[in-house]
Amino acid sequence: MADTHKPVSPPTPEAPNPDTDAYAHEAELEAHLQTKRMYVNMGPSHPATHGTVRLKVELEGENIAEIDCEIGFLHRGFQKSCENVTWTQCLPYTDRLNYVSAMMNNFGFLNAVEKLIGLEIPERAQYIRVIGSELHRIHDHLTCVGATGMELGGFAPFLFAVEARELIMDRVAELTGARLTTNFGRIGGMNRDLPEGWSEKVIKTLDKVMEHVNEIDGLLSRNRIFVDRTKDTGIITAADAIDYGWTGPCLRACGVDYDVRKVKPYWVYDRMEFDVPVGEKGDNYDRYLMRIEEMKQSDRIIRQALQQIPAGPIILDDWRIALPPKPEVYGTIEGVISHFKLVMEGVQVPAGEVYDCTEAANGELGWYMVSDGSGRPYKVHVRAPGYPILSAVPHIIKGKLLADLIPTFDTINMIGGEVEQ
Amino acid sequence: MSDNDTKKPTGDAQPPPKGAPTDTPAAKIGSQPSNPPAGAKLDTPPAAHSAPTAPPPPPAAKPAGPPPPKNPGFVTCTIDGKEVVVKPGTNMIEAARMVGSDIPYFCYHPRLSIAANCRMCMVEASNAPKLVPGCQTPLVEGQVIKTTTPKVKEQQRAVMEFLLLNHPVDCSICDQAGECKLQDYYMRYDYRPSRLEGGKVMKNKRKVLGPRVVLDQERCIICSRCVRFMNEIPKEPQLGIFGRGSHEVIDTFPGSELNSNYSLNTVDICPVGALLSRDFRFRARSWFLSAAPSVCTGCSRGCNIYADFMAQDTYRYRPRENEAVNKSWMCDHGRATYKGLNTGRVLSAVVGRQQGTGTARPEVARKEAIQAAAKALSGVKGQVAVLASPVASNEDLLATLTFAKATLGAKEIYVGGRPQGEADHYLLTADRNPNRKGLELIAQGLGLALKPFEDLVKALDGGKVKALYAVGTEVPGNVETFAQAAAKLDVFVAQATNESPLTAQATVLLPASAHVEFDGSFVQVDGLIQRFRKAYPSKGDAVGHWALAAELSREMGGTAAWTSSREVFRELGKQVAAFAGFDWDKSAPPDREKPGINPLPTAADGRPPGYREFGAPRVRGI
Repeated sequence: MADTHKPVSPPTPEAPNPDTDAYAHEAELEAHLQTKRMYVNMGPSHPATHGTVRLKVELEGENIAEIDCEIGFLHRGFQKSCENVTWTQCLPYTDRLNYVSAMMNNFGFLNAVEKLIGLEIPERAQYIRVIGSELHRIHDHLTCVGATGMELGGFAPFLFAVEARELIMDRVAELTGARLTTNFGRIGGMNRDLPEGWSEKVIKTLDKVMEHVNEIDGLLSRNRIFVDRTKDTGIITAADAIDYGWTGPCLRACGVDYDVRKVKPYWVYDRMEFDVPVGEKGDNYDRYLMRIEEMKQSDRIIRQALQQIPAGPIILDDWRIALPPKPEVYGTIEGVISHFKLVMEGVQVPAGEVYDCTEAANGELGWYMVSDGSGRPYKVHVRAPGYPILSAVPHIIKGKLLADLIPTFDTINMIGGEVEQ
Repeated sequence: MSDNDTKKPTGDAQPPPKGAPTDTPAAKIGSQPSNPPAGAKLDTPPAAHSAPTAPPPPPAAKPAGPPPPKNPGFVTCTIDGKEVVVKPGTNMIEAARMVGSDIPYFCYHPRLSIAANCRMCMVEASNAPKLVPGCQTPLVEGQVIKTTTPKVKEQQRAVMEFLLLNHPVDCSICDQAGECKLQDYYMRYDYRPSRLEGGKVMKNKRKVLGPRVVLDQERCIICSRCVRFMNEIPKEPQLGIFGRGSHEVIDTFPGSELNSNYSLNTVDICPVGALLSRDFRFRARSWFLSAAPSVCTGCSRGCNIYADFMAQDTYRYRPRENEAVNKSWMCDHGRATYKGLNTGRVLSAVVGRQQGTGTARPEVARKEAIQAAAKALSGVKGQVAVLASPVASNEDLLATLTFAKATLGAKEIYVGGRPQGEADHYLLTADRNPNRKGLELIAQGLGLALKPFEDLVKALDGGKVKALYAVGTEVPGNVETFAQAAAKLDVFVAQATNESPLTAQATVLLPASAHVEFDGSFVQVDGLIQRFRKAYPSKGDAVGHWALAAELSREMGGTAAWTSSREVFRELGKQVAAFAGFDWDKSAPPDREKPGINPLPTAADGRPPGYREFGAPRVRGI
């Protein structure tokens, strides 16, 4: 059989080799740059992206021909690890999901477990959860907005954002004892009440934080460079966003009015007066604006909550769920048995399955859990809002400029911890 | 231990090869038990017969009086809305268990008489105006039982409150914590704070009842299980209840003590932490221990046990139910035998005799010792006497005796083993070796003659035996005098689990695994073949007798290629007629609660449970 791959005539040894000989093609001497595809790795540790992810970009000139997001650098086996510990011991793992707003993960997880057991937590605990969540929503959005500004060339907004963030972190540390990994709340309520004088401090902090937010708003929202880079870039249509499973501020930027806090109010959100900002175009600028506006709304919610918060217990008085008070543990056999059983075997969650979601900073944080009736989860699955959002990046950016990738990646606010779990 | 009385017999033993397979959980090879267990003859009720399989009711004659039973010969009633068909005389607790309703109880035990004094099992019955105790009340035709009504729940809560009223705040120092019925039931049926005002009634917290049992009278809930056990099972009434009301205590009668050989069973059946084993007390927390289903090696009865272990130490034996052998019990003599698994072990190979007392012997790698043994044995092929111990498992004996026959050219085997003791009136047999029957069957299967130990002593004294290969160094006679005789041997290759004066005289000493360190089987006195499971990897440099035989055999030019005790049994067990029908794999007792991968099973990651990266946990050693 004839070898069809064989060249028709053997190449003459004297002929120039186009790969090594610069003069191979005379035409090149006077020519245009070679237009062949260039492969670029952005990340896993790149100064213009926040978050540990490797973007494999195939460039056709300055346009992105292909892009592949490679995740997994922060994978910890979160879901499987949960099966080896008691329900309560899962809580510190949830800190590491979206580590910029740890409390929202804590409370989301607890809410799902409580739904599985069928618990109604005390009112005061519900208020504390709302306050903690909204504080961390501001914290999360500040990080996103500040980083966006910085990665597009403005350092000042980042400094303002970080200063405001630091103020919130101080309040969070006073509340939970930790700056980042809060591990706050317990099944059936909270493990700790608001510290004395904390509410007044929070009001003052919010005044200062909102000052900074307005400053950032002023620096960026009408900034020519910023607007040019973000407006009409990274566009996704509402239909596509829904298809990809987007939620949260990114979806609302496309004009879809979907906020779990309004659609399916949990805790005491139905008693709060707040607006849900909705965008129009679904571009980077809209996503940025959503976050600025949501911070202002969170500020409103916290102020209302601090005003309304009632006195009362912060955790259920049921010794099958909550640890007994310490004097009872040390002084009575009933208390010591309950403490022993809860610590050694965990809260006995009735057999069954549940899906429950809360509105986290990046969108719908969903939990699918199965219990076999023991003290440890049989299965925990978390629907992290960042995952579907990140998966749409190739769809958004293909064919667009490389420079658009930076603001797009910024405004979708990928957090490695929750995407990779 | 609280689960011990709730499990059904597991049916570990396999039917024998002879005849058609039977469906009894434990068929017998030999005659009837030589020493039949006496004691309570309760038998668990049969599985519920469903209505379709029962014969149709007789044609209705409609006499006056109660309606005819729905299933003649059985009682049909309804428990929590589910129909249940049971034998007449079955109590409510057992019937409810069949349909998945849990009636809590403290004083009830399926193998003991009914006391009905804890009042925890009270349920609502359609034919009684008040709550009735579920343990004491037999079911009647058409009765409707409810176990979860508010009335029942309130009763359970009230009982728990009373039981905890005078209970000391002891969980943190109590050995029962983690396996305590008070803890379990408090969380399930009470879960409310204490309402006690004022002090609790104080009693004796460390009343020594006997050589092996100590009582904390404050923790006792006076369920009387221990008193009934001593009266009914070993029939040695050594315990009684003294005093009245809040001052009631369990105690021995004046001038006597709890010294029965079955006294530690009272510790097992105690639903709380009142009766404690003096041996196990304060040694380990129950939740750090893992349990491996095993068989006791204290005598030839072969009581089924759980060996509770942590890292590479066994901490206690607990009886495991087997209707055919030990029911729910075991003797104190057998329980104490776990100590030999931890201490006095031969952990590394030694070449050369011990020169005088106190001198250290050079420890060598096992490989080197095997080579030395092979060299020594090769020189005396055909003239080696073989001593086999009936303490070794079937797999050990199959492999070592095959090696002795094929490679060493042995035709007869001297039977070693622990000296005979006194049989008692219940479980303990005179033969203190777990596998004499197995040794006999295997020798017969391999065509080897068994000769008594005395013949070996005579042959040694007469100078007829110059080389000895010993599988296990337990000897029935005086070990000191036999060791002196063994000192004159030219070649003495000994595979041993424990140190003894005899192992000091071995020219080559090889470390062997104990029965909790590998999977294997024993044949107990009545001919039942019983499998035991591996708990943890062998201590030190030890491997099973069978593995040592394989190494020796290969070193001497043989082809023994067994890599596991399972392979040994499959390959060599064929020669033993009695083993033909024994399914080695299927008859292994289950070693985990659920099939498949458990989240935290015993040694799931290949490491022994309780393993810590930096040495053993800080628990007081044995």
